[in-house]
Amino acid sequence: MSLLDVAALEFHYPDGTPALAGVSFVVDRGERVALLGPTGSGKSTVLQHLNGLLVPTAGAVRIDGTLLGAEFLREARRMVGLVFQDPNDQLFLPTLIEDVAFGPLNDGVPADAARRRAEAILEELGLHGFGQRAAHHLSGGERRLAALATVLVSRPALLVLDEPTGDLDARSRRRLVQLLQGREETLLVATHDLEVAGALCDRGIVLYDGAVVADRPLRDLLADLPFLERHGLAAPLAR
Amino acid sequence: MSFRHLDQYATVPSPMTRTLPTARVLAVVVVAVGTATLPLGAWRHLAVLAAIVVGLVAAAKLPARAVVTRLAGPFVFILLASAALLVLVPGEPLWHMGPVGISKAGVERFGFVLGRASVALTAAVILVSTTSFPELLHALRQLRLPAVVITALGLGYRLLYLLVDEIERLQRAARSRNAAGGAARRRHVLVGIGASAMARAFARGERTHSAMLARGFAGDLPSLTPRHWDLRSSLLLVALSGAVAAVTVAAHLEF
Repeated sequence: MSLLDVAALEFHYPDGTPALAGVSFVVDRGERVALLGPTGSGKSTVLQHLNGLLVPTAGAVRIDGTLLGAEFLREARRMVGLVFQDPNDQLFLPTLIEDVAFGPLNDGVPADAARRRAEAILEELGLHGFGQRAAHHLSGGERRLAALATVLVSRPALLVLDEPTGDLDARSRRRLVQLLQGREETLLVATHDLEVAGALCDRGIVLYDGAVVADRPLRDLLADLPFLERHGLAAPLAR
Repeated sequence: MSFRHLDQYATVPSPMTRTLPTARVLAVVVVAVGTATLPLGAWRHLAVLAAIVVGLVAAAKLPARAVVTRLAGPFVFILLASAALLVLVPGEPLWHMGPVGISKAGVERFGFVLGRASVALTAAVILVSTTSFPELLHALRQLRLPAVVITALGLGYRLLYLLVDEIERLQRAARSRNAAGGAARRRHVLVGIGASAMARAFARGERTHSAMLARGFAGDLPSLTPRHWDLRSSLLLVALSGAVAAVTVAAHLEF
């Protein structure tokens, strides 16, 4: 049984504009998958369906075999850890320790245990001693790691990252990639950064205009430059 | 933009910062109630309360300049709000121009209101200078303020910084395109920046709400265990309450 099964997913915005047109793919336990596509291709919209933030117009999402619906929402949100594109959206409490403990506390973990888990994950990500800081006192790279900590602390089965390296400098980007390479969670990374996708994933799904246009080993995809260019994922710029 | 200066005294080890934030909040309430209930004209008693508050400033290791700077803004507001007393309180006229006059009773009332407000405001400045915002939220939670108010304050605090950042980015973008011109043009640019910042704040609010839902938010902001009540905090509160009550009662007995 697949950990994630997205079947014929369709989504229309309230004004009727179609965003997803029958997206289907599965992710097995332990897989590391890149969801590739240019800006506006529907990557973030797909991700927001994976823990019930958006309700599909048609189609279905199954987590570990269970249909994602109202009764399963709480458990699904614990199982699918979603790291948002902008860490500022994810760090909304006055101190980092409160932000990191937010998920476990919502899951019913007692306060002392939630604090211990939060401190442990901050240490694991190299943010030891940052607990009492406010997010606006962190650098961009630290903020990104902190956002990751807010999700990892809930021990998700599937870690979902939306453009994880979008606003990072080279050093912070490398640090984040190395850290993610060492994680054991099943990984789904939405990005248009082919280098990051190549460093983290074995399989690539290409989304274009709200539909899946390719699902194959990432190495094959990255070698197919004409295909990538046709779908808004051009190779690095050359002079 | 860095805002570290706002909390710079909250981390200074002092007898004040070692007390529980909840005790500090209650201490401010005690001082405010004490000054507000002093009978009009009880200047000597007000001076005693002022001396107690100055003692608290010293205990908090706050530089006088910092206290005065933080007092300035709210003091101007109090000054403007109470200026009407000068002309509205009837009594023996000291000066008049046509139908508008200033009475001796008006000046006394104005001076006493300013004095009372200054003492209470100084106590509030001690609180906000020695207590970081998260500690203040914990204190309010411990004092059983409604959860929805705590949630709104906590999220508002964080979003305020993001909003300031947004506005600064927009201002930089405007300046980089030589936004200048006359006052009317500057006002126009300012209104545009304000509107754009509000629209972005709304969009960010939506995204933050999604991020909260994604981590299991069900309407109530959970809290980590705050510090427990201790002897030092109890002593501060009992001693302060006793002193303030004694001064206030003495003032009423004399009048």
